[in-house]
Amino acid sequence: METTPVVAFDQVTKSYGEVRAVDGLSLTLRPGETVALLGPNGAGKSTTLDLLLGLKQPDSGTVRVLGRSPRDAIVGGHVGAMLQSGGLMDEVTVRELVSLVCALHPRPFPVGEVLSRAGITELADRKVNKLSGGQEQRVRFALATAGDSALIVLDEPTTGMDVTARQAFWATMREQADQGRTVLFATHYLEEADAIADRVLVLHRGRLLADGTAAEIKAKAGARRISFDMETVIEEAVLRALPFLTALDVSGQTVRIQSSDADATVNAVYALGLYPRNLEVAGLGLEQAFVTLTAAAEEARTS
Amino acid sequence: MNDLIRLEITRALRNRKFLFFSVIYPSALFLLIAGSADSTTKVGDTGLSLPTFFMVSMASFGALTAVLLGNSERIAKERESGWVRQLRLTPLPGRGYVLAKTAGAAVSSLPSIMIVFLVAAAVKDVRLDAWQWLALTGAIWVGSLVFAALGVAIGYLATGDAVRPITMIFYFGLSMLGGLWMPATTFPQWLQDIAKWLPTHAYAALGRSIELGDAPQAKDVAILAVSFVLFAGGAAWLYRKDTLKA
Repeated sequence: METTPVVAFDQVTKSYGEVRAVDGLSLTLRPGETVALLGPNGAGKSTTLDLLLGLKQPDSGTVRVLGRSPRDAIVGGHVGAMLQSGGLMDEVTVRELVSLVCALHPRPFPVGEVLSRAGITELADRKVNKLSGGQEQRVRFALATAGDSALIVLDEPTTGMDVTARQAFWATMREQADQGRTVLFATHYLEEADAIADRVLVLHRGRLLADGTAAEIKAKAGARRISFDMETVIEEAVLRALPFLTALDVSGQTVRIQSSDADATVNAVYALGLYPRNLEVAGLGLEQAFVTLTAAAEEARTS
Repeated sequence: MNDLIRLEITRALRNRKFLFFSVIYPSALFLLIAGSADSTTKVGDTGLSLPTFFMVSMASFGALTAVLLGNSERIAKERESGWVRQLRLTPLPGRGYVLAKTAGAAVSSLPSIMIVFLVAAAVKDVRLDAWQWLALTGAIWVGSLVFAALGVAIGYLATGDAVRPITMIFYFGLSMLGGLWMPATTFPQWLQDIAKWLPTHAYAALGRSIELGDAPQAKDVAILAVSFVLFAGGAAWLYRKDTLKA
């Protein structure tokens, strides 16, 4: 059955002067997905989120949230968001601020519940301007989850949190996703995207470079790293012809290979009649996959 | 929206520094200027005694302080901190923020007007009819909306560091040239010709005609109305520009 997408970007472009921050971006988010938005600095992540939230208007193309304009979706209480650039009202207590945002939401949760879910019950009577960076983040999270919204948008949500707070945060976030909400988060902690997202979008120069599960993204970049030592010097052309090879680095006797099918590649090494020593096969982290992908895109652009 | 208005009012009342400047300062200034004057000296050809004259000046000045400084600086600072952006992620209608800010400022301008009246009546024996007290309070309070609109406009025009000097130029310029600190009649003629067109001059003149038991001058009402349209229009235009840029 075809359901209304939670988010639909269609050929969206946004420029600042000469710079194209978002360049013909099309993407669709479906209900219940937990999606990570990755990209190096300047890839267009913030602009994409601003367009999604109606804080900026696209130069061309359309942005729809639940089939309506972003602003209408926000007015209807369908979107909860925390932005890095979103400030907090000062000179009020945490409880007053959270109560205000709950009161503004058409389908609010009880204030006490919002506070405890964000782990800020003990901070409730503290003045907002007396909070640490990590505590402020948790207050922002409380504001984003003040009511029953279908879509939750988080921009670098765990910045400034320590490891424990970060884990607690993602546990809460998973609960939100389990209740059927769509969660979109931008992050530069790739292990977070790897562990939490069931879909990863890689943005590069305002375009979608990759879109799939973390495993698919890793496979696309050459998912496994193989290294071994050779007793005799082998011609690089021979190695380069190995099946499923995506990257090759030979330094002296040490050979390093990235392969999208490590088993096949290693078999082919033996089939060549070679006897590799100290053979190691290791998985490629999402981080390395991400670096490989963006570097390859950059190379393709400049050459 | 009522929730935001309520919270803005709580906040305004909680800010002691701001309350001092808008509520205590005008009364203190009144005592400083009118304290040693006797109640029979008339100010120029106004027909008002010095304490009566300055009571309106200082009440107007206090209201001006509360709404102009209250709006401009806070709006500029909260645009910079990103709170305005965060609010735009809530279902609050855009104008709600400006309305709540103005309500917060208006709540602190009312005590500043009334305390000047109280001090003038108790210390300097200013006596007016009951309707005059009520009309004065109402006129000065409602008239302050003109300057609340100016405060919103400055808040959306200036950012962070620039907002204070810009506000101060308007604040002192309007107070001084409008004759709130000293009667405009003491100015050289060329300055008087400028001063009488300022909204602050018309604002204080409104109060003085009530003290004399006269109907307000049509010219003063017109100057205030035109100023309000200009300031509110400018504020709306700057607000929309800021919203598109975000």
